[in-house]
Amino acid sequence: MKENPKPLLRLRSVSKHFGGVQALTGIDLTVDRGEVVALVGDNAAGKSTVARLIAGVYQPDGGRIEFDGQPVSMPTAQSAIALGVATVFQEFALVEKLDVTSNIFLGRELIRGTLLDRSLMDELSRQYLGRLRTRIADLQQPLGELSAGQRQCVAIARTLVSEPRLVVLDEPTASLSVSQTAEVLSYVEDLRDMGLGVILISHNLTDVRAVADRVEVLRHGRNNGSFPAATATYEEILAAITGATRA
Amino acid sequence: MGIQMAPELGLRDELSKRCQALKGGHRVGPLDSSGDDRFERMIDVPGARGSQSSLREANSASVVEAVRQYGQITQVELAAVTGLSPATVSNLVKNLQAAGVVQTQATVRSGRRAQAVSLVRSSDLTVGVHVGRRRMEVLVSDASWSVTANQRLPLPVDHRYDTTLDRVALLVAELTEQVGASLDDVGAIGLAVPGASGIAFESLPGWEAIDPAEVLARRLGRAVRPIREADAVGVAESRFGALRGAASGLVIRASSVTEASIVVGGRTVQGLGAGIGSIGHTAADPNGRICRCGARGCLNTVVSQVALSDLLRVSHGPLSLNSIVTRAREGDSGCRQVVTHAAMVIGAAAADAATLLAPERICLSGVLTADDQFLETIRTVIRARPLLSSSNEFVVQGECADAEVRGALAMASDEAAPMGSATREA
Repeated sequence: MKENPKPLLRLRSVSKHFGGVQALTGIDLTVDRGEVVALVGDNAAGKSTVARLIAGVYQPDGGRIEFDGQPVSMPTAQSAIALGVATVFQEFALVEKLDVTSNIFLGRELIRGTLLDRSLMDELSRQYLGRLRTRIADLQQPLGELSAGQRQCVAIARTLVSEPRLVVLDEPTASLSVSQTAEVLSYVEDLRDMGLGVILISHNLTDVRAVADRVEVLRHGRNNGSFPAATATYEEILAAITGATRA
Repeated sequence: MGIQMAPELGLRDELSKRCQALKGGHRVGPLDSSGDDRFERMIDVPGARGSQSSLREANSASVVEAVRQYGQITQVELAAVTGLSPATVSNLVKNLQAAGVVQTQATVRSGRRAQAVSLVRSSDLTVGVHVGRRRMEVLVSDASWSVTANQRLPLPVDHRYDTTLDRVALLVAELTEQVGASLDDVGAIGLAVPGASGIAFESLPGWEAIDPAEVLARRLGRAVRPIREADAVGVAESRFGALRGAASGLVIRASSVTEASIVVGGRTVQGLGAGIGSIGHTAADPNGRICRCGARGCLNTVVSQVALSDLLRVSHGPLSLNSIVTRAREGDSGCRQVVTHAAMVIGAAAADAATLLAPERICLSGVLTADDQFLETIRTVIRARPLLSSSNEFVVQGECADAEVRGALAMASDEAAPMGSATREA
């Protein structure tokens, strides 16, 4: 297959350390438009660190991040959002005390005149949540009272508010029921069909292989293999995750 | 009561319409589905526009829609969802209950007593399941289609039967719960899956040694009827789709492999042996490759996911059947050639079969038919046979997007209610 010279996102030998811990060493990662790239690996392999680098939460110590072939710096999460990155973090970046609608539109509230357009936000929230098949009847409920699965859906619904170019999902199906998982995976397919780039981080190889186009394995903060999802077997991917094979 | 609604109309469609109307076409997000006028039709209720009675009808309809979406919902939650006052909701629910549309049940929410509202089912639930190569789908419904739930789940390449059938079982349980019922209310389950006829080499890779219907039956504690995919498509198309009104039809499902079924009077021809409809194992190339069945040059060795992507491997790299069809539509000449060739081969086999059986219509379904020129090529091949009708209505495209799962459900419910009667004796 031809390599796109200007992919949506490219990480070039990106490194990151926290004190004495080398979290990422020379990571390369490419995501193109209309492509779902799965990032898999053991605990502490650096998956979530990659997600946070792309979301502008962390800054790389070395290497560079390119969007559309142009090197970019993302000093804040806001700058990443401005570049069109929507991220769903593993531990939810949500406010427990606020209600469902306020969380979905947090930082991006709709305004009519000088006031919040609460009724429109409520209706849109209902629509986003309906799309993900979650049944939260009362949107005035504080988030802390919802189940883990419902909170996860609220976090994913946040990605529907902005119109992102790249969606990063860190363990999106971890606490979901099968029908909600199905909805999230179908959502990922929809995103791809709309030409967005998707990075899917997950432990669940069944989910990953169902929707990903490419599976990138991380091991101890290094790239340890890249597999086309259409031909890679569970065994090959597992071998790369556990270190039985080296890239 | 004059509540008229399309059964598939969901609350979110309604809301998206309402939001668009409110905002005058403002984009509400990447997943907004626009371009249908069902909401407009729905609020067009009996009674003069703007009158009290038309308002009540519209409110009543939104209550029913909310109940349909949430399966089981308390009256307090209904008020939150619909934006109506609790007193109005209570009145509307009372009316709907009297009309036999909804039922209520005492329940407890957040430590308080509450009335849970759910739709009245017209019969036991029937479940249709389709497990394909890259996707599974579950559909739950009662006989009148007033209560329905469905869900699709993408599957990995060469998925394993244990994981997949576990997920099917969980999905069936979750979906019956969503419509406010339990597994005890499920009367019949139909499972459409490759190899359902009992021919091992037709099975999904890794599924040869098991009987999927039996494994699923054990997990759910319910009888499961195995159904060939082509049979399910045939029944769905003859009852809900392109074969309505035709006394007999030849249905060809051109997907990863090609399969056929013969439908007469809304039912597939059964009992002639497991191999019935195996159009994929008719000879297409006498000098061809050896098929999984052991014969030489079967249609499936010339036209199948494997054979077609093989033709493009050197020039295009590995491609799925879906992407071959998409690229052909986008004008890629290599993919176009491959799809046209497939249509000619399938068309010749279909013409042979139709000459022998003389069906009223031929219906084509499956991934390959997503290409418009596919159908045209097949029509051209069939028009070359003087014994066959040359009219455009003779060869039609399937109309059901979810034909496999819908047909599986219909066939399972046939078994539960003999003679196709709409209601079951209690």
